[in-house]
Amino acid sequence: MGATSYISSGIIEAYVSGLASSIEREELELAIAQYPEVAAEYRSCQQDMEQYIIFQSVTPPATLKEKLLLQLDTEETARANGTYVDVDAAPETPARKILVSGAWRWVAAASFLLLAGSVLLNYTQFTRYNDMRQKYEALVTSNTSMAAETNVYRTRLEQAEQNLHIVQDPSMKTVKMPGTKPFPTALATVYWNQTSKEVFVMVNNLPQPTSDKQYQLWAIVDGKPVDMGVFETGTDAKVMQKMKSVDNAEMFAVTLEKKGGSPEPTLDQMYVAGKI
Amino acid sequence: MESAFTYTESELIQGLKAKDQKVFSYLYDRYSPALYGVALKVLNDESNASDCLQEVFMKIWRNIDRYDESKGRLFTWMLNITRNTAIDTLRSKAHKMDQKIQDIGDDVHLYTGNLAVHPSVDHLGLSKVLEKLTKEQRIIIDLAYYKGCTQEEISKVLEIPLGTVKTRMRNAIIQLRNLLKLV
Repeated sequence: MGATSYISSGIIEAYVSGLASSIEREELELAIAQYPEVAAEYRSCQQDMEQYIIFQSVTPPATLKEKLLLQLDTEETARANGTYVDVDAAPETPARKILVSGAWRWVAAASFLLLAGSVLLNYTQFTRYNDMRQKYEALVTSNTSMAAETNVYRTRLEQAEQNLHIVQDPSMKTVKMPGTKPFPTALATVYWNQTSKEVFVMVNNLPQPTSDKQYQLWAIVDGKPVDMGVFETGTDAKVMQKMKSVDNAEMFAVTLEKKGGSPEPTLDQMYVAGKI
Repeated sequence: MESAFTYTESELIQGLKAKDQKVFSYLYDRYSPALYGVALKVLNDESNASDCLQEVFMKIWRNIDRYDESKGRLFTWMLNITRNTAIDTLRSKAHKMDQKIQDIGDDVHLYTGNLAVHPSVDHLGLSKVLEKLTKEQRIIIDLAYYKGCTQEEISKVLEIPLGTVKTRMRNAIIQLRNLLKLV
């Protein structure tokens, strides 16, 4: 940048008004050293700025000069006695050095070690906590599933006991129903209490029907089929399922019907049948 | 209040470097109104400005050996010390941006009323200059010089683009200098 462009750039005005950044100040100081015209323009501008400042002079309070000279006397006396502490030893050094005593250095070092130790301990504890939490959660899960299994076993045991009571009843008649010709491996059993006339069916082996179908038990009374109700198959089904009661029957048979049962048996879907 | 005799600038500097208290006393009489004017404009408080001025003169007394004649006049050096000390005080008192603006806004209306009489001050010249400067021109100069505002701060306060702050400042000072030629 030439001298003229420095003068017209506004940097001199920014400098004398205190607006210039530190970079701009350095730049102008170099230009002042380099170009006499810039230096002259700067001096002239600076004097005008100072005139503006002088225009705004205000007489300070009269007591201030006394206070000032007293402070100066005190300071000079102290200086002569060698007791003066130079408070302005480095007034233009912006960076302030803070001196730290040896004891505080040790305190700081100890604090840092404590902090580092604390961080490490926290980390270890947190890891352990996470470990324990995972184990605890696994235990809770397995405990819950064990409780559920226990319930299943208890229910099955109770059913088995009931079944045993049914079977052990001396008035209970067992009617085996082997598979018919189309379904030779099928097998089911009817337990018929001759006193109470209650009827129970036990599935020994019947294929699992589709969800829209159910097996239906029939009693043959006087050569005609009588509906005894539908029953469930599969793992969720009770081993012994209570059906409708019947006084007399010559025969029991099971057919596969639509869900909920049919009023008349579908004969070609007869799986098992057994004579009394 | 002015001394019966005067010192040249180089005599002043030599006297101060020699720790001559008479020279110091003369320096105070000669320059304290201008420097107090700066402190008062920056701080807007007589008590703070008095403390500031006392500190400034002690700095001048202690640090005269740091003054470099080749870098500028003694008055310029003293003005810089005063401005820096006062602005440091202003900042340490945690004045906020709006406080700075408030101060300037108040000053605009009280400019002439605030001035105490000093024989060396040409009030006629002052009022002539100030009347011809627009309010905005005075404010931009005063924000920078007396409040130590940066270009960014001035851009925000006066709601003008950052890029035009320097141009506005240049125009304001050119206007100031033209007016000074007429005084």
